Amino acid sequence: MIGAVRAIARSLSMATATLVTLVACDAGSEAARATEGDIPPSSTDAAAGYRGVVLEPGPRPDFTLSDVDGKAFGFRAETESQLALLFFGYTNCPDICPVHMAGIASVLRDLPWEVRDRIRVVFVSTDPGRDTPERMREWLSGFDPRFIGLRGDMEAVNRIQAKLALPPAIRGAVPPDGEDGGSYEVGHAAQVLVFGAGDLRLAYPFGTRQADWKHDLPLLVSEFQASYAPSDTASASNARSGLD
Amino acid sequence: MQWWCAARGSAWTWSWQAYPGVWLLVLAIALAYWRFFGFGRRLPARHADTNADGAAGSRGVPPRGWPGWFVTGLLCLWIALDWPVGALGAGYLASVHMLQFVLIALVAPPLILLGVPAGRPALRAGPWNLLELATHPLIALVLFNLVIIFTHLPSVVDSLMASQLGSFLIDMVWLAGGVVFWWPIILDRPARPGFGFPMKIGYLILATIVNTGTFLYLTFSELPVYSTYELAPPVYGISARDDQTLAGLLMKVGTAAVLWTAIGVLFYLWYREESDEPSSTSHA
Repeated sequence: MIGAVRAIARSLSMATATLVTLVACDAGSEAARATEGDIPPSSTDAAAGYRGVVLEPGPRPDFTLSDVDGKAFGFRAETESQLALLFFGYTNCPDICPVHMAGIASVLRDLPWEVRDRIRVVFVSTDPGRDTPERMREWLSGFDPRFIGLRGDMEAVNRIQAKLALPPAIRGAVPPDGEDGGSYEVGHAAQVLVFGAGDLRLAYPFGTRQADWKHDLPLLVSEFQASYAPSDTASASNARSGLD
Repeated sequence: MQWWCAARGSAWTWSWQAYPGVWLLVLAIALAYWRFFGFGRRLPARHADTNADGAAGSRGVPPRGWPGWFVTGLLCLWIALDWPVGALGAGYLASVHMLQFVLIALVAPPLILLGVPAGRPALRAGPWNLLELATHPLIALVLFNLVIIFTHLPSVVDSLMASQLGSFLIDMVWLAGGVVFWWPIILDRPARPGFGFPMKIGYLILATIVNTGTFLYLTFSELPVYSTYELAPPVYGISARDDQTLAGLLMKVGTAAVLWTAIGVLFYLWYREESDEPSSTSHA
């Protein structure tokens, strides 16, 4: 009975979440609207059994940005042995970013450590002006201290997003009574990208629920572990040679 | 501008918002009370010996029909529906949504009904028959618990709270359910001689048990059950799961506090009635 109720609830809630997102976007300034991007879903989506949207296969992006300790972090090389969750957002975000991060962190806490240990969450700031390393460390630690925060200049971040078919981040106007660096919003892609086994790529739009993460993450980790072989040096060396 | 509190999706702000629909409802209820019962009745200096019906009142307790009861109930309703409680409960925090439920369905109705003078309303043929049927204790108890279960289903909450009309509907169903539930406890019309103090106490004890399923479902769910609150912009960093657990506890503790207080009052009145019986026969 409860299972059936939850199933109905899930389908209705996804529709509601979409509506809520539209309302949220409508309420915000034009520039601050969260944009989903035009990533084409794969035709194999239905058969995959994931709740996320399966995208056209492709390699993990190869970029290097600074982490919150100021060290260079090469995304492909650093995450090659793990399932990688990549999200572009900013710490002053009032809605989408904290909801995504809190949901993922909450589900990770429930997963067995051997699953959790195979997942890496990377948050790339779209607001480097306000997202100082200290600010990012503090904000991400509030969700999960293992979350990785990366920063770079806006041009570099937008180039990475362009390669991932994500729209560029757009800084909104500062309110008339505010000062530069004050309470402006930043429009950014609203989905979390997941890079799994091989060239598997998925998108989890805003509205993805903790139940969806709890369903997909163990499945993705399991498939990743089955396909990933540490001896796969060819792909690893390719990854390293592709670093900026 | 919104006329009724509903999930907005935008970040929570402490900037005051006007909800004219709430004001109109509160005004309409106040006008209806004034039209049918009036606000002219004063609280007697000594409440003893002035309470003819004996249902409530005497020895320091204001009598039934005292407008102060009604005003307090209406105030509770207003607080539950208007900004900020109404807005937070409609679209941000499940725990505040549950606080609204306690205020709208369990606190405001008995206070409003206590403001109705003894012997009123005079039930006549027509629509009152349906009310008479709905307020039969057995039917009222079933209806109220159906309201609790139905209005806390995730599919219902998530689909209704996104719109003002849906949110209004939930609030009104809570209010109507609360009035129906409390009616046989507080009002003496229609007369139900068989529904004395022991039955009333049993009725309330049953009510404390029946909502346990909803409480357990909310408190011990591994995941957030309402997408409305799970995906709402966070308020003060309260996680969706903590908020939901708090909501479940609030439902159980809040409901229990109200119902057991009422049970205590009924025990007291029963004791008073039994004590007075040898010396007085005026109390029915």
